Amino acid sequence: MGRLARIPGVAFLLVVLGILFGIFAGGFASLPNLLNIGIQSSTLLLLALPMTFIIMTEGLDLSMGAVLGLTGVVLASALVAGNTLIVAFAAALGVGLAFGIANGLLVVKLGLPPFVATLGTLGIAQGIALVMTGGESVAGIGPALPKLYATKWVGIPFSILVAALMYAAFHFLLYHTRFGNYVFAIGGNREALVLAGVPAGFFHVLVYALAGLMTGFAALLLTGRMNSGHPIAAMGMEFDAIAAVIVGGTERQRGNGWLPGTVLGVLAVGVLRNGLNVMAIQSSLQVASIGLLLIVALLIDSIRKRQL
Amino acid sequence: MTPAPLIEMRHISKAFPGVQALKDVSLAAFGSEVHMLVGQNGAGKSTLIKILCGAYRPNQGEFLVHGKPVHIESTRDARRLGVAVIFQEFSLVPYLDIAQNIFLGREFPGRIPGTVDRGRLHSEARRILDLLGMDVDTRTKTHRLGVAQQQMIEIAKALSQDAKVLVMDEPTAAISDREIERLFEIIRKLRGEGIAIIYISHRMREVFEIGDRITVLRDGANVASLRPSETTMDELVRLMVGREVDTTYRTRFCERPGEAVLDVKALDTKSGIRGANLTLCAGEIVGLAGLVGAGRTELVRAIFGADTRISGEIFLKGRALRGSPAEAVRQGMGLVPENRKTEGLALLRSVHDNMLTAGLRQLFPHGWYTFAKAKRAVEGLIKSLRVVTPSARRPARFLSGGNQQKVVIGKWLNAGSKVFIFDEPTRGIDIGAKAEIYKLMETLVADGAAVLVISSELPELVAVCDRAYVLRNKAIVGELRRTDLTEENILRMAMQHG
Amino acid sequence: MKYRLIGVALIVLALGLSSDAFATPSNLLNVLRQASLIFLSASGLTLVIVGAGLDLSVGANLGLSACFAAAAIKATGALSSGFAAGLACGIIVGLLNGLMVTKLRLPPFIATYGMLWMLYGVNYWYMKGDTIYGFPSSFRALGSGDLLDIPIPVYLMVIGLLAGGVFTRYTTLGHEVYAIGANAEAARLSGIPVSSRLILLYTLSGAMAGLAGVIYLARLNSAEAGIGTPLLLPAIAAVLIGGTSLFGGSGGLAGTMIGAIILTLVLNGMNLLGINSNWQPLVTGVIILFAALIDSVTRRHAELGA
Repeated sequence: MGRLARIPGVAFLLVVLGILFGIFAGGFASLPNLLNIGIQSSTLLLLALPMTFIIMTEGLDLSMGAVLGLTGVVLASALVAGNTLIVAFAAALGVGLAFGIANGLLVVKLGLPPFVATLGTLGIAQGIALVMTGGESVAGIGPALPKLYATKWVGIPFSILVAALMYAAFHFLLYHTRFGNYVFAIGGNREALVLAGVPAGFFHVLVYALAGLMTGFAALLLTGRMNSGHPIAAMGMEFDAIAAVIVGGTERQRGNGWLPGTVLGVLAVGVLRNGLNVMAIQSSLQVASIGLLLIVALLIDSIRKRQL
Repeated sequence: MTPAPLIEMRHISKAFPGVQALKDVSLAAFGSEVHMLVGQNGAGKSTLIKILCGAYRPNQGEFLVHGKPVHIESTRDARRLGVAVIFQEFSLVPYLDIAQNIFLGREFPGRIPGTVDRGRLHSEARRILDLLGMDVDTRTKTHRLGVAQQQMIEIAKALSQDAKVLVMDEPTAAISDREIERLFEIIRKLRGEGIAIIYISHRMREVFEIGDRITVLRDGANVASLRPSETTMDELVRLMVGREVDTTYRTRFCERPGEAVLDVKALDTKSGIRGANLTLCAGEIVGLAGLVGAGRTELVRAIFGADTRISGEIFLKGRALRGSPAEAVRQGMGLVPENRKTEGLALLRSVHDNMLTAGLRQLFPHGWYTFAKAKRAVEGLIKSLRVVTPSARRPARFLSGGNQQKVVIGKWLNAGSKVFIFDEPTRGIDIGAKAEIYKLMETLVADGAAVLVISSELPELVAVCDRAYVLRNKAIVGELRRTDLTEENILRMAMQHG
Repeated sequence: MKYRLIGVALIVLALGLSSDAFATPSNLLNVLRQASLIFLSASGLTLVIVGAGLDLSVGANLGLSACFAAAAIKATGALSSGFAAGLACGIIVGLLNGLMVTKLRLPPFIATYGMLWMLYGVNYWYMKGDTIYGFPSSFRALGSGDLLDIPIPVYLMVIGLLAGGVFTRYTTLGHEVYAIGANAEAARLSGIPVSSRLILLYTLSGAMAGLAGVIYLARLNSAEAGIGTPLLLPAIAAVLIGGTSLFGGSGGLAGTMIGAIILTLVLNGMNLLGINSNWQPLVTGVIILFAALIDSVTRRHAELGA
């Protein structure tokens, strides 16, 4: 039982879901569809990776979806205005980073509970995006981005490549750098870090700033896939990200984080959404299912914890 | 010729809004010496230590190292001078491993900027652990370590920083006697290597066992600095308190206990208690003794219904309990928990509200709350318990430890409790208040209640209890009647094998 | 509390000076009507927050209840069935929230956030993009009508305030909620059955959201998927502005009433000054941040002062 116990609940969930959909959803188990899951999950992974860090530090970021919508709009608008992809991308990164830093400062320097702070910035980001676009899509972004999005390298689509690279980067950050150690410390025992003379506040803000920056990257994928920018395109994606991280086994307290679990969690969410799509179940019920998935995963883990 | 002290604090004064924490205090710590710092709660020991390690800045005073003046204005300054402090709350990160914890903030850089040289991290950590005689793998995450081991890691941290002055704040508060012996071995070893050790303690016996020099603080002033050979325990207590303290806590013991009010049979709990049998009669004060980790708190929590019971029965006044705090309270049991601030009180709320929390259903059986009745109940108790507070509306967090404890007791009196369970009731409370609490216990049982008390202070248990159960490894291994109730007997039962 | 009342006075003064349309009876009554609706939506939420919980699903709950109520009234022609449907929906949602928080040990903001999205989904699936509209005037009066020239929702607000006051001061249950909010573990160890009280609290909150949904339906005279969503931020803002601490154990409905009034005054002012309504969620967000900031600082100050 020992070896089996260490495999997180999410792995079992993933297998079960995969089997269920493979049986009941026609066309689910085909290669193009599985590839599709990978592509669709890439954007979510870009959000879930920094969300892992945030949750490890006992925080939360509810604004990610709204900020992603905004950075997508910024990216699209910049392209429509004739800027090069690089400049537009930089603009999106900048906006995302600004919101990330704002979240960090609100939580760390001003001591606001994270969900309130990010709820507030959610409203602000969404508000700005709505005002900028009047609620409409920003289309006509030119050929540069769609072309980049469609490229494949050794048969691997662009989005999956970006996701894989980002995972490698975050893995390296968390397990091989000082910053990674500090992420564990901020959630596990912030006092210890302060006593050790480390500027804990700075690194704590950095965690949120990183999340903001990643929404900029995610904008690249999202806008590329939709071929336009829309203010509420990513609404609710932070919920998927939070679900993925928690389903993946990262605890909300004591700085107990597991990055590979986040990948599994993202896949679980992706499989669920894709499977339901193939079965032609509408998106609002899909969200309901994600919620259910989260509850089931938490249930499984708490039952197993009680048995140990 | 006496060598200059390794580190010296002179004429330190520190004021906080409303209170003068330290008045002109001087302390000299010499190398190769264990310097005990004693005093009641609130005497200023923690403040002095925090100033020494740079966490606080004094309003006045100076520091000298080897006779030469230095500045300590931040924790970094203190660390650079070789001062390391081990507080009661450990500063370990649970999901990082031992090596990462030891070198937190001082990691060895790898080749790429920002990375850590893990090889070197672990080899250095290994070296220090070997010095301390610990054979734990440096890759172990610290959340897996026991309290005593965690403390060792804290010491390892200090050693890795070339500490010349090691300050320990009540290091033995939460570890077993055998682990205390280990700790003392290490302290002696460090002393042999020239390190100055400043050791805060409430336990008189340790002061004389391992101390080389004693400084007594009282009300923020340094009232004495002597060697153990020059003084006695009684004198120290006198110096700490400033008056003669009556250490006879109990005037009359229970000759004829009343009927059994609490009956525990074959209790097995999820927290590990196995086959516990226990009886408590009206009019008795019964103690629960044992080493840390023996299961005393687990036992009482299960009796109270706060922890899950696997099998066994608990009868309160003849009535079988199903196992929830709500039920236990309704039937007349009260628990004064170990952590009074986090489990006994709502610090934010007033003394009035706290005192009513457990008695709401007792006082207002129909669910209808009247201020007049509530106020009467509370004021009566504040008076009879002698709770020091300007008004009943004062938030509980402003009261001193002893008075907070009285509020918790008052809460149970309001609830009409007849069986009281005290878990370490005098921890962190000054001597004057301790006596009051024990007198209170005596009054309770004189009125027909029954008391179960857990204490790690063996002298107090012996002085107060009619009889005591001893726990070892999560089971009750014996019972000592009044005539056999001595510290030696308790310890022997708590530590014996087989 | 004093500062908040002064704040109201200041805002009224400022708006009165900057806009002619502000100080007219019709506008002020409209503000009160709007504030009452926000208060009703936020009343259950206030009690949950006092108990150191959180209910992010109030808006969605309200909207779904309104839709069920609308369908019930249309189906049976009886107003009472609308109330029953809305109340039932609210109670069920609240109960589920309570169970998730106590039995599954899910943190409230995750549980109710998940519930928010699940309700949203159910709402859209149930309404299938339709709108239900056109209700009898006797029903609409509840939301849009007046009694003695004062909007009926205001009466409802006052009734709610009084009922809440009685609950928090004169019932042991109310005191238990404050005890749980201030320190849940100490409350449990004092013999308060925390789990069952919390389930009751969330169910109560859900019921009040359900009722608020029916009143809201009366005001809007139509129901479609998602009508409740824009009420979440204002509800939270009203509670926070009113001084109820997110950390639990303090505050109350009186504060939420003032908070609702202050918020509505600000939004009303923005309307009168011709500011684009797209800015409103943004401003609400900023207000939430400020109020939470003050709450956090006050709490930290209080804890450090010990």
